[in-house]
Amino acid sequence: MIYYVAAISLILIGIYAVLVKKNMIKIVLGLTLIDSGVNILLVSLGYVKDKTAPIFSNPTLTAGDMVDPVPQALVLTAIVIGVAVTALALSIVIRIYDHHKTLNINKIRELKW
Amino acid sequence: MRKAIAVLFLGFIGYYLLSTFLLVPFGVVRVLEGVGLKYLQDGLQQTGAANLVTSIVVNYRGFDTLGEVTVLFLAATGMGALLYSKRPTERARQNASVIVKTGARILFPLIIILGAYVFIHGHLTPGGGFQGGAIIASGFLLMFMSYRTYHVNHVILSRVESSAGSVFVIIGLLGLAYGSSFLANILPLGTANTLFSAGVIPLIYVAVGFKVGAELTALLDTMLQTVK
Amino acid sequence: MYLDPVLMIALPLFAAFLIPPLARISKGLVKYVPVLIIGFNLYETVMLLPHSMVKPVIVIIAAWAPPLGINLTIGPLGNVLALIISLVGFVVAVYNIRFVEEEPNEKYHMLFLLLTAGATGMVLTGDIFNLFVFLEITSISSYALTAFLRDRDGAEAAFKYLLIGSMASTFILLGIALIYATTGTLNMAQIAVRLKDVDPRIAIMALILLITGFGIEAEMFPLNGWAPDAYSQAPTPIGAAFGGIVVKAGVYALARLIYTIFSFQGIFHFILIAGIITLLIAEMSAIRQKQLKRMLAFSSIGQMGLVLIALGLATTRGVEGGLFQMFNHAMIKPLLFLSAGYLVFYSGSKNIEDMDGMGRVKPLLSFFFAFGAFAILGLPPLSGFWSKFIILSETISHGFIAVATLALFGSIIEAVYYLRVVGRLYFKAPHDGAKVQYVPKSALVAMSILALITLVTGLYPDLVMTYLKPAAAELIDKSIYIKAVLSAGL
Repeated sequence: MIYYVAAISLILIGIYAVLVKKNMIKIVLGLTLIDSGVNILLVSLGYVKDKTAPIFSNPTLTAGDMVDPVPQALVLTAIVIGVAVTALALSIVIRIYDHHKTLNINKIRELKW
Repeated sequence: MRKAIAVLFLGFIGYYLLSTFLLVPFGVVRVLEGVGLKYLQDGLQQTGAANLVTSIVVNYRGFDTLGEVTVLFLAATGMGALLYSKRPTERARQNASVIVKTGARILFPLIIILGAYVFIHGHLTPGGGFQGGAIIASGFLLMFMSYRTYHVNHVILSRVESSAGSVFVIIGLLGLAYGSSFLANILPLGTANTLFSAGVIPLIYVAVGFKVGAELTALLDTMLQTVK
Repeated sequence: MYLDPVLMIALPLFAAFLIPPLARISKGLVKYVPVLIIGFNLYETVMLLPHSMVKPVIVIIAAWAPPLGINLTIGPLGNVLALIISLVGFVVAVYNIRFVEEEPNEKYHMLFLLLTAGATGMVLTGDIFNLFVFLEITSISSYALTAFLRDRDGAEAAFKYLLIGSMASTFILLGIALIYATTGTLNMAQIAVRLKDVDPRIAIMALILLITGFGIEAEMFPLNGWAPDAYSQAPTPIGAAFGGIVVKAGVYALARLIYTIFSFQGIFHFILIAGIITLLIAEMSAIRQKQLKRMLAFSSIGQMGLVLIALGLATTRGVEGGLFQMFNHAMIKPLLFLSAGYLVFYSGSKNIEDMDGMGRVKPLLSFFFAFGAFAILGLPPLSGFWSKFIILSETISHGFIAVATLALFGSIIEAVYYLRVVGRLYFKAPHDGAKVQYVPKSALVAMSILALITLVTGLYPDLVMTYLKPAAAELIDKSIYIKAVLSAGL
């Protein structure tokens, strides 16, 4: 339960940063916060009480002792996608900084929303 | 004003998100006929990999992983395109102290070995190609931070990326040619929990490990080259 | 005779991985790679048509039947859209041959190839998480391509697109999480079966999250803030690709979602209303634009509004009209963009005012633009007429008179601003300083293909409609799709 609350709070904090912050780096940080929030949410959806990681490392383990492996596999993909987007976002920020010599979005936004 | 609107908006979203997710019971098996349970029951016999997350990532949902590798490749390419011919900004990167430098030199090979270990044993223990690749890249990051002039040869990195990516697709195509479908397993499954088991899974994960390691390192290096 | 359809995705990825070594051997060769590979996809989609029309072609991947593994489900709808995407991709790739001089141009071709592959994957896959992965491939390459020219406005447009796009992927992922948590599967057909037993509050929330996410790609109001900037600041062929490829894949995802997976009655009215608002706001913004490409971008949003109206009707004929409109838009909007790109280049200005008299300076180019403008307005007998006619008549016959009136009003606005540009092209004296150079043959070939298709579908709309009818049927009757996928495992 507390995992849901924490994950959703992380997502909300991230969205807040994206909406309100003026510094582009902070906005990108907001994006990564959102990503981690979603990932935590996904993993906690797969959790089953008193069960262990889905690895047959020990012969006594049976299928009944393990948590759902699918969300973990999905999170792996989601993390990689998050990294890719962050890397691209940072390089775009570097380009914008190059043109304007500032990271403040208020001084930059010439294109209307 | 802007903040107040944002907070209101977030409260609205948060309330609905949370109240919906609270309807999903936490920590119990919710769906008795879900694919997750099927993987748990039959995964070991069907794929021969002790680590079920790996067998899902590389085998059952291997197509996703091919896409995932492509996403990372895209990020590296896009970054290369965007930062192409950018003049480095003048900002001196400080030389690290002797302690850090020496430590880094000793740690670096160990980190690389750990990374390789993680991706080679991806089908047996927690970890795999992505995790191992990330560990390798972190080793390079340590070197970048301790040595100002440390650079990686981009041509080699790009060759590693290209060939590792191609190996992934070729393994898939071999599955199509000699097996029943794209990415189908064409090798014997072996005995579970031994290094040479799980058919093509370790091969794919080794390729992914190389590719991810090379790509993340290339990302870091491209980023660092924008600063003198 | 078609090869395994998975090659339509595997080969572009393979080629993209091999482009860097190829570029070191010979830079000149790289630009032909997308033409070749997307040409192969085009061949495949055409060869698949007769098969998929009869019965959806299910392609199993990694030897696991659905729902255990990921599968490609190539029904009539997926096939037609993959055909559209490959066709537009092919034409734009031909246009690219002589267009992109910017370095590092091998990266440009790589990104473009992956954009097309991602969109193709989106319309073919049968797995919702796989759909998300391909959406990310498509959108990440779009972000990078938007900023490709590395100028100030391009980078800003890309940053904005990236922010909105990441929000979209967050919402989609949350929606998928809810769906997986309650149905325990990611296969779209199986989700559709199991959602009946899910708490409707959860299902509706998942639907809202997913519609928000995919609505951003499909340019649905009010989620389309990225579109005008991205369209107009990206290199011209990419603007064309947004209209012909990215948006089409987004609309496909929406359609699959509301028809096959969820199919709640109430959602159709919502889509209808969203469509009409999208249409009106976009057309009203378009008429105020001073820049040619921005105007085209808003017009593109407006056209998507019309498609959404058609999808919101939820009748067979309405969906047919919507799909036909999508096809037309996918052919005509790139034609307009590609010709506008050179008009902008030769007049040396992005503004509509500076296009005066280009009809005399560049007759062929202006002809293509005017032809595209007439076609998109729906002047009979050009193709835009038929799709608009079907949608409007269907709207009226279902009693949505107000919607039809508003849509018609939108079309009139559209006519005003397109004819204004065409008028300037032909009936004003040319400015001095317009550069007179020749247009590369590859660009002319690309535009001629599109113009020819538009002309032929206008004269013989049944040629296209034969294939769109089964596609619409697949959406209206979801049991075809579900049965095909779930019986593949037996």
